[in-house]
Amino acid sequence: MTKVETTTPVLQVKRISKRFDTTQALDDVSLDLYPGEIHALMGENGAGKSTLIKIITGVYHPDEGELWLDGNPIRVAHSVDAQGYGIAAIYQEPMVYPDLNVAENIFITHRRHGFFVNWGKMYRDAEAILAKLDVKLDVRMAARGLTLAAQQTIEIAKAISLNVRVLIMDEPTASLSAHEVEQLFNIARALRDQGVSILFISHRMEEVFGIADRVTIFRDGRWISTLPRSEITPERAIRDMVGRNLEEFFAKSEGERGELLMSVRNLSKENVFSGMNFDVYRGEILGFAGLVGSRRTDVGMALFGVEPADSGDIILDGKSETIRSPEQAMRLGIAYMTEDRRLIGLTMPMSITSNISLPMLHQYLSRLGLIQRSAEEATAEQYRERLTIRAPNIEQPVGMLSGGNQQKVMLSKWLNTRPQILILDEPTRGIDVGAKVDVHHIINDLAAQGLGIILISSDLPEIMAMSDRILVMREGRQMGIFDRDEATQEIILTAAMGQNGGTTEIA
Amino acid sequence: MSRRLQFLKSWEGLLLVILILVIGFNVVSTPHYLGLQNQINLFELHIEKIIVALIMTFIIINAEIDLSVGSVMGLAGCVMAYLWTREVPFGLCLLAGLLTGVLTGTFNGLMVSYVGLSSLVVTLAGLIGFRGFAHVLLEGNSVGNFPPWFEKLGQEPFIGPFPFAMVVFFVMLIIAIIVLQRAGAGRYVYVIGNNREVARYSGVNVKRVKMTLFILSGTIAAFAGLLMAARLGSMRGDTAQGTELDIITMVLLGGVSIFGGSGTMVGVLLSILIVLNLRNGMGLLNVTGETQTGVIGALLILSVLVPNIAREVRDAWSRKRRVQRIQEGEEPEGG
Amino acid sequence: MDTLKRHFRPEQLRELSLVFLIVAIFMFFGSQIEGYFSPRIFNRVTSDVAIITVVALGETLVLLTRNYDLSVGSVVGLTAFTVGKQLSANPDMLPLLALLMALGMGLALGSINGLLVSYGRVPSIIVTLGTLAIYRSILVAFPGNKIVVIHELPAWVVDFGRVQLFSIGELNIRPVVGAALLMFVLFQIVTTYMPYGRRLYAIGSNPEAARVGGLPSKRIVFMAYMTCGAMAGLAGFMFLVRYGDLTVVAAQGLEMQVIAAAVVGGVSTNGGSGTMIGALLGAFMINLLQQSLLRWLVISDFWVNALLGMLILVAVTIDLVIVNRLRDVWARSGLQIKPVDEEWRVKEKERHVP
Repeated sequence: MTKVETTTPVLQVKRISKRFDTTQALDDVSLDLYPGEIHALMGENGAGKSTLIKIITGVYHPDEGELWLDGNPIRVAHSVDAQGYGIAAIYQEPMVYPDLNVAENIFITHRRHGFFVNWGKMYRDAEAILAKLDVKLDVRMAARGLTLAAQQTIEIAKAISLNVRVLIMDEPTASLSAHEVEQLFNIARALRDQGVSILFISHRMEEVFGIADRVTIFRDGRWISTLPRSEITPERAIRDMVGRNLEEFFAKSEGERGELLMSVRNLSKENVFSGMNFDVYRGEILGFAGLVGSRRTDVGMALFGVEPADSGDIILDGKSETIRSPEQAMRLGIAYMTEDRRLIGLTMPMSITSNISLPMLHQYLSRLGLIQRSAEEATAEQYRERLTIRAPNIEQPVGMLSGGNQQKVMLSKWLNTRPQILILDEPTRGIDVGAKVDVHHIINDLAAQGLGIILISSDLPEIMAMSDRILVMREGRQMGIFDRDEATQEIILTAAMGQNGGTTEIA
Repeated sequence: MSRRLQFLKSWEGLLLVILILVIGFNVVSTPHYLGLQNQINLFELHIEKIIVALIMTFIIINAEIDLSVGSVMGLAGCVMAYLWTREVPFGLCLLAGLLTGVLTGTFNGLMVSYVGLSSLVVTLAGLIGFRGFAHVLLEGNSVGNFPPWFEKLGQEPFIGPFPFAMVVFFVMLIIAIIVLQRAGAGRYVYVIGNNREVARYSGVNVKRVKMTLFILSGTIAAFAGLLMAARLGSMRGDTAQGTELDIITMVLLGGVSIFGGSGTMVGVLLSILIVLNLRNGMGLLNVTGETQTGVIGALLILSVLVPNIAREVRDAWSRKRRVQRIQEGEEPEGG
Repeated sequence: MDTLKRHFRPEQLRELSLVFLIVAIFMFFGSQIEGYFSPRIFNRVTSDVAIITVVALGETLVLLTRNYDLSVGSVVGLTAFTVGKQLSANPDMLPLLALLMALGMGLALGSINGLLVSYGRVPSIIVTLGTLAIYRSILVAFPGNKIVVIHELPAWVVDFGRVQLFSIGELNIRPVVGAALLMFVLFQIVTTYMPYGRRLYAIGSNPEAARVGGLPSKRIVFMAYMTCGAMAGLAGFMFLVRYGDLTVVAAQGLEMQVIAAAVVGGVSTNGGSGTMIGALLGAFMINLLQQSLLRWLVISDFWVNALLGMLILVAVTIDLVIVNRLRDVWARSGLQIKPVDEEWRVKEKERHVP
């Protein structure tokens, strides 16, 4: 066990704050990490966990506060600095060199002593490190052919070879099988026993309770509590994570539920999600709740034909359809607004007008194939007014707008396809409160006008306020559908974490 | 973003300045430089290349590249010439030449769009392979003696003082400008080049667009090859060899980013004029063709290097301004 | 399946298949052509292969980092010509000096490439397309008559090619071949046993990880170009010695043969994988095929390039299929991997937005 109160903490986070544009990502948080402990950090999406990690590893710089190492303040200006201090981080998607073998992946960034690479020694040293982790891996195999879990192990081994003292693991288990998770935990325990300090971020309650020595909970960028495992229960944890901040959200007005628009039966995609069963009604908002890795986005992409499902039925208008392309989905009246604006949602250098008309461009073409600018612009103006998009003019490149306005442009783009079913993926992510309210109003109006809406969101209060029914997903599985009246934050979060009575089997 | 628009405007503005300088220099060193006949000659020598540069603009904006165009020009001409030596009716020879371009374009398009190979590698192989086939067909020989009407079309004025190829170029130029800047197809080309995934998610058929572009590229290159045969009056295995350098330079110099998604036809037109006038001027100063090519090569490198350096300077400057703003209490956007 | 994956890297399987192909070609043409197994043909093939191989070795260094060097043909031509001219003007010049001159020139020319690619951040295709033209134009701009004639060269140049280094039975190993073999061994050692060589693979395999991990990518790529240029310079010297009579189109188009050799030999155009052995085998196979087809009389000389183009495509497609197969195996364990260059492309696009 750990000798917590008797030694100096190896890493101290002292009153760190960080602000992004309009969001206070971290607000005066403090945390102590002792050598030889596994310290879990929990919290909802947006609680500030990733931001803290990035500050510790030098990707971001804090606006206020300090980091201390072994009782002395340090400055982590760059990821290379973090390496020098013995701080290493492992993420969900490991960064390995696919063409190099395991041993080389571990040692490639070392400052070389001597002219020649001693392969024999490298293999032996690699095996030694892996032995310390109690892992059997063929050090001669190319990293490319290895499983995600193995690649993560390589990253851990790399950290060990650089004499890591603080190992941060950011949601490392999201894509691992149960067996691989157990392996990872054995490694973590071995490291802990050797004095390494592990900061472990996870959503999964049973994991946290299985491995952590102490648990810290953040909420909305603030530190809430730090307790030894023995003093915390799942219920207490959930309560700390959720808090009571439902007030600021706009509640969806009660409306009439109309006809059945779409039925999804047993929709599955191998290794991604399985057994999705739900209905979408006119005038209703079906919320999709879940945590990171729950694969809600994948379901959306399947419904829109971007990454089609393998099996199951999507029934529209009484007919079962196989949706294999976005073109087809749009023809069937489905629209999907992606969660990522920058990479796949909008074309940043292009104007508002061009972005809005893109999916429906063929309708703005004259007989010769030329774009009818006036029609396009009329459309854009229409949406500018309707959604109150704030921009000097509609020719403004979208990249220059604020997050909230970009979101509105994206929304316009998809509304313009006149969908019957609108899938919104994180529509209020990264935008300020004012814009959020706007967007909520708009969504509400859309439902009132007769659209069927699927609202994917990691913002629990938002989902609860906006949805008529809430579908909860966990790791590609549907955990249940709750009616608005019966759902509380605790119930939703519990289902999302798989605590609702053991239907959870990790593949 | 208006900063970027400004910059782009200033790239075309810069091109205009350079063009004026080049022409000015030429006018000073050679009398009658601005005479119509000299200008026509200026175009004529390179007319096939600038025709291909028009379609190359689309391809590069689409974030692809076609290195095989020079070889397709040669191959199409050689196919035509080969059949001609075999006493095939000339019309069919021409048709076969064009078909060559369609086929090579389809091949390239298939490999890039559907097999998923990088266009760089595929068209590099095409550059080598198609040229090879051209050599195979004509071996070491030069083929000529085309029907008089063909050579007349290639060498004598067609409409007013302008030869056929020039007329074709101007017509294609206008079509290219209209399509790129005003047609739906043009916008698709930009969007795909800027961000292929956004296009896909917005329902654009990316594969079909790319396929079409490559087929067009091959066809137009073949057409240009035939025009070259008409102008030269003869065809050899190595005709049009090395022209891809000039073509790509003209496009990149015109402000089209090698990464795709940006650039204008006007910019390419300006850069075409610069390259032509540069070559013409050098030629009049008795600089050899090879040396001219070297200068063009330097121009190519500069056309990417200079914006890079400019961007570095601009970023450094804006970073300094950010630091200032932090110090003054404003919060910059994070991460 | 696992033991197979363990003991044979895909590259080694590929190299093995190349060896088989070479043997097959050998056997086939041996049965078709009179006097195929003669010392004369051996010399011919090995001398040609030697020149290509030397350049291919350098080019492979660059290819490993996910870059290209298309200017090597011009570098070979320029160095060969320059040294040839110098020797014609000063016949008493020390042979060693001539060699060093060639190497030095190549190094300098390669450094220019490296500077522009690494520090100017101009894509390597563009840089080397440009320097291909620039270097060739320097060659053409040479004052005086633009040829090197063999009888103006000192005697040792002519004899150099005929000297025997040593013999295996009836087969003579000439100096150029010896030099190529030496370089091959050196490069194989560097890429297998030296940290610098291994880092080349890392950079090509995952440029982003290399950057984040603190590898000095710019310096490493720069040095790769420098070395590639030096090798092209060495090949220029060998070219001069082999052919004697040079014109301004010397070695034009060589870069295509070199890249074809590397690609056929299994060097990935995407960087990160490929070996010197592969490059050597690729060069050997292509040249053997060329020479054999030439002598077979059924195919004319002009099929060479057509063949090269097809070979490149076949090699790259096969590699793609294999890689896709690997990715499938991977995917079956439940992973989602984006190709690294797609990310890079998006990030590059991001840079255009202020």
